[in-house]
Amino acid sequence: MNRFFLLTACLLGITFSYAQDDLLSELDSTQVSDSYATAAFKGLQIVTLQTTKMPAKKEVYFVVSHRFGTVKDGFSEFFGLDQATTKIGGVYGITDWLSVSASRHTLLKVYEAGLKYRVARQSADFPVDIVGYNTVDINSLFKKEDYPKIEFSDRLTYITQVLISRKISEKLSLQLVPSYIHKNLHNPALENNNQFSMGAGGRMKLTKRLSVNVEYMHNFDKPDFYTNPLSIGLDLETGGHIFQLLFTNSQAMTESGYVTNAAGDWGKGDFFFGFNLYRVF
Amino acid sequence: MKTRFLEFILCMVFILVSACFYGQKYSTRTGNLKFEASMSSFEEVAAENKTASAVLESSKGDLAVLALMKGFRFKVALMEEHFNENYVESDKYPKASFKGKIEGFDASKLSTDAKSFTVTGELTLHGKTKKVTDVAKISKAGDTITIIGGFDVKPGDFDIEIPKLVSKKVSEKIAVTYNLILSK
Repeated sequence: MNRFFLLTACLLGITFSYAQDDLLSELDSTQVSDSYATAAFKGLQIVTLQTTKMPAKKEVYFVVSHRFGTVKDGFSEFFGLDQATTKIGGVYGITDWLSVSASRHTLLKVYEAGLKYRVARQSADFPVDIVGYNTVDINSLFKKEDYPKIEFSDRLTYITQVLISRKISEKLSLQLVPSYIHKNLHNPALENNNQFSMGAGGRMKLTKRLSVNVEYMHNFDKPDFYTNPLSIGLDLETGGHIFQLLFTNSQAMTESGYVTNAAGDWGKGDFFFGFNLYRVF
Repeated sequence: MKTRFLEFILCMVFILVSACFYGQKYSTRTGNLKFEASMSSFEEVAAENKTASAVLESSKGDLAVLALMKGFRFKVALMEEHFNENYVESDKYPKASFKGKIEGFDASKLSTDAKSFTVTGELTLHGKTKKVTDVAKISKAGDTITIIGGFDVKPGDFDIEIPKLVSKKVSEKIAVTYNLILSK
């Protein structure tokens, strides 16, 4: 019988100590976690390309961006600051996975309308975020007086991009961007009306509120006299503002101009300074 | 062999009985936690977590509460993102927990009229642990015990840095309130 008491005492001791220490660990096992990776990117753009970040439902982003003239022209043009081009626009989140945007670009007097929609989110069960991005550019530069036969459809350019991103670590996120651009109006002697390109970008956080971003697009249908866009930027986030300072060899801010009409050449010191400024309401 | 078997059965019975008497546990998985760090004349900085879990060991008054940081919901989505990314670093420190004791707790003396009890314990948040003490109102109706209370915390105590740029908009003293409805 001694053995029996000893054993019971031991086991009782175990239950007691278990009950005392493990109230918290008992709770641990009952928690269900929300496993989506959040904030792969701080801003809606890496540099000029879109990121997989979506505005939240009912959020309004106000956007002002500038790309200045080429730095190459030196002091007489104040390193490009004399020739600013501007984009002004807004983005609205209809739901957490769907947003619409509209903007006006001074370059080629383009009106741009866009649709961005999230298809998949990175989580413990799925490796990447997938977002679709479509825009239509309306070129309002051509005047009816100069081109009497121009139709409205001639002014249109369609852009379709798939954005695939992965938040690799807390600091590093990478993104792939396959892109297809269709131009209703083009010069067949110079370029294709359908242009495919593939690009990649990423961000590296330096501090909690500061990151370095890089992006590159390779255009497979590019004529020789254009280059492929390569851009580097710095994200600064301050509460409701996101400020992106950048250098790029492609001055345009529409996807079509940015990807298919890059004219600068980093090797020749021919690049552009610019910034994107976002205010979130 | 027979006595061994008997010993084993007796043993099991003892343990079961003791566990039954001992384990007077009340728990919830839908505990409510709120905090507010608003400054007057600036945007509201407040969040609510409706999925905190808690367990009360009623025979001793031991209380444990656990909440996921990503379970805190703000009115402004961007604020929620910044809370998780920049302030509490939810990917690194996904949980906040409290482990403590309700002093002088006696379940049999509780009634539907709330009584005040002193709760002391350790709050762990952002990888840092700090002692907190507050007074909670506790009531009991049937098999349900309700614990309501609140306390103040300082972000600095938990190594949560508030940048100078927003220091006017985020209070240095954050009011935390809780409402736990625990059942058997």
